[in-house]
Amino acid sequence: MSPKRIRLLIWKEFKQLRRDPLLLRIIFAMPILQLIMFGYVVAADVTHLPTAVVDLDHSAVSRQVEDAFAGSGYFVISAHPASEAAVRPLMDTGAVSVAVVVPEGTEAALTRGESAPVAVIVDGADGTTSGVALSYATQIVQQVNTRRLAAAGVDTSAVPGLDARVRVQFNPTLRSLNTMLPGLIGLICMISIVVVMSQAVVKERESGTLEQMFVTPITPAEYLTGKTVPYALVASAQALLVAVVGVTWFRVPFNGSIWVVVVGLVLFMLTVLGLGLLVSLVSRTRHQAQQTIMFLMLPAMVLSGFIFPLESMPSVLLPVAYAIPLTHVLVVMRGAFVHGAGFGDLAGPLAALAGFAVAVFGAALVAVNRRLKG
Amino acid sequence: MRRSLARIGAITAKEFRHLVRDPRALGVVLLLPVLELLLFAYAISFDVDHVPTVVLDQDQSAASRAYLTAYSSSDFFDVRGTVSGLDQIDELFRQNRIRVAVVVPPGFGRTLAEGGQGRVAVLVDGADTQAAAVGKAYATALNVQYGARLAATWTDRQGGGAATASAGMLEPRMRTWYNPERRSSLFLIPGLVVVIIMIVTVQQTATSLVRERDLHTREQMQVSPLRPAELTIGKMLPWTLLAFVDLGVIVALGLGVFGVPFRGSVPVFVLASTVFILACLALGLIVSAVSPSLETANILALVIAFLPSFLLSGFAFPLSSVPGWLRAVSYLFPARYMVTISHGVFLKGAGFAELALPLAQLSVYAVVAASVATLLSRRRAR
Repeated sequence: MSPKRIRLLIWKEFKQLRRDPLLLRIIFAMPILQLIMFGYVVAADVTHLPTAVVDLDHSAVSRQVEDAFAGSGYFVISAHPASEAAVRPLMDTGAVSVAVVVPEGTEAALTRGESAPVAVIVDGADGTTSGVALSYATQIVQQVNTRRLAAAGVDTSAVPGLDARVRVQFNPTLRSLNTMLPGLIGLICMISIVVVMSQAVVKERESGTLEQMFVTPITPAEYLTGKTVPYALVASAQALLVAVVGVTWFRVPFNGSIWVVVVGLVLFMLTVLGLGLLVSLVSRTRHQAQQTIMFLMLPAMVLSGFIFPLESMPSVLLPVAYAIPLTHVLVVMRGAFVHGAGFGDLAGPLAALAGFAVAVFGAALVAVNRRLKG
Repeated sequence: MRRSLARIGAITAKEFRHLVRDPRALGVVLLLPVLELLLFAYAISFDVDHVPTVVLDQDQSAASRAYLTAYSSSDFFDVRGTVSGLDQIDELFRQNRIRVAVVVPPGFGRTLAEGGQGRVAVLVDGADTQAAAVGKAYATALNVQYGARLAATWTDRQGGGAATASAGMLEPRMRTWYNPERRSSLFLIPGLVVVIIMIVTVQQTATSLVRERDLHTREQMQVSPLRPAELTIGKMLPWTLLAFVDLGVIVALGLGVFGVPFRGSVPVFVLASTVFILACLALGLIVSAVSPSLETANILALVIAFLPSFLLSGFAFPLSSVPGWLRAVSYLFPARYMVTISHGVFLKGAGFAELALPLAQLSVYAVVAASVATLLSRRRAR
């Protein structure tokens, strides 16, 4: 191992990166774009749902219901169709996604002491919204009831009941960005290393510079170091950029230890570097390498729990999810950022990451050695 | 004209031969959509259940045990065990072993017997906000129900229930249109069609065009009688055909295997898909024209095809909740219009009248994108 030769190789790699000015710009713009998109889209809480109110009762109660919906912040009353039939075209075109129908005779029924139905219709074509809208609507109708009971002066003090405090620990405002950002750091490391790294060796093979390399005194170990270090550095810079922008601009709290994050990321980077090298070695052309990456990356994004919680996955798929390194780095990053967890708490996922790093990077080393010697 | 068609045909045949010779590329184009469909249909849902839960019963009374059974008998909470102290709960949270903890403080049973409000605390882990939001809602609902049950038992025991019957209650009746069981696959698959087509067409056309340039076969083409437009059309035709094959496969799987309904107009869907595929091809052409290298084309396609179609199309994440400026950005990508159309024809039974607006927008988009693509690639060729 000659440090000078490694330095030259690294310098060569950076020079090649700089030759394509657009690439470098995209490499550093991409994490920020992702941060903004994931931060604002996936992290968006369901609010301001366009809502139609069909008031067939025209009474104090129906106005109370409408005010409760309008004042909740979750619904924006955007239409007042004259009948329930008129809701259909509004929902067909997607102009509203919720409709509240107060039938005729509601107030009369209530004054007789009977219960009166209020219909809440949600657009099931949008699964996430419809579920959330239903639970908000239930809460709002219950609030109207409570307020009416209180106004009627009903004495409920002697009735036993529950005083339940449902509290969210660690991220009390349920701000999704706080949990999205730590995951995004891992994801960006993976995308940028795997996408660029997988091209690195194939490119040299395609253009024939790999053979030229072998007639020089460079050893396989030096070649490997020179090849991986630049991309690891670029990915670390990206991760740092996302972390800094996230913590300073988006005000994501960091509760844990930096060392946990560093150890977790280093182990993870070794794994993805190995993965990129392996893909590069089994592909004959850059196009093939890129396609293989697409094939691997999508399941990783979907099954790792980055967007969709692991709890919502069928249990048959859980072993697959745990076979993905990204799943474990997500646990480590979220643990450190949100829970403030230390090495002891995260021993399990860190050990899994170490295992992946040894297995994948080891396999890549063996494969590269064999290829370079043979 | 006839000669021109023959030349385009020759290029298309050449492209197909490239494809067949590279089985991995063909596999990606034909298998990736199926794999994605299976993944999304089976793995993804926001319907969280079996949330790992522990309980801490500091009261140890009949009432507290009865209350805690409400959790173990629900499908949502998966009660993994009982702990003996609050510090243990904290540790389990940090080790990521539980998502919810229920604490019943001492005196719970006595308070209820005296007709008071029994205090309980439900702690939800906020580290996964999706799961936490659902968990919070479920816990609240469970407690409201249990409280109502307590009150009802009490009123029964009082005989007649003098206190609550004097005022009528509003009763919410919930209905979900188009997708009454709210199955995630039903709304994800129509959107997924769009996402997959966009990824496959934009990325594949962009990279295959750049590769041609990289291998310098383009110069060879230019000395042939081929006109640039013929070359481009010939190169893009195979991808257009493959995009339609993908579309057919996904729609067939969705309808046949996953029971997604098709309630709307078939011609509208075919027309819209054609315009959409053309728009995607134009985007692919734009990417190839501005990218100096294959890596750049690759990452650029990822940035403009993958992320926006996934996040800014309304396919899984509602656009009504994102900030206005970002909603404006979503109009820059064709997936947004197509997802609206797709949801309309699959689930809502929409026809031409309901979808005229997004169709018109999509058509304008396709024309603009195609013009920009032509302009850029002409400048590039010079």
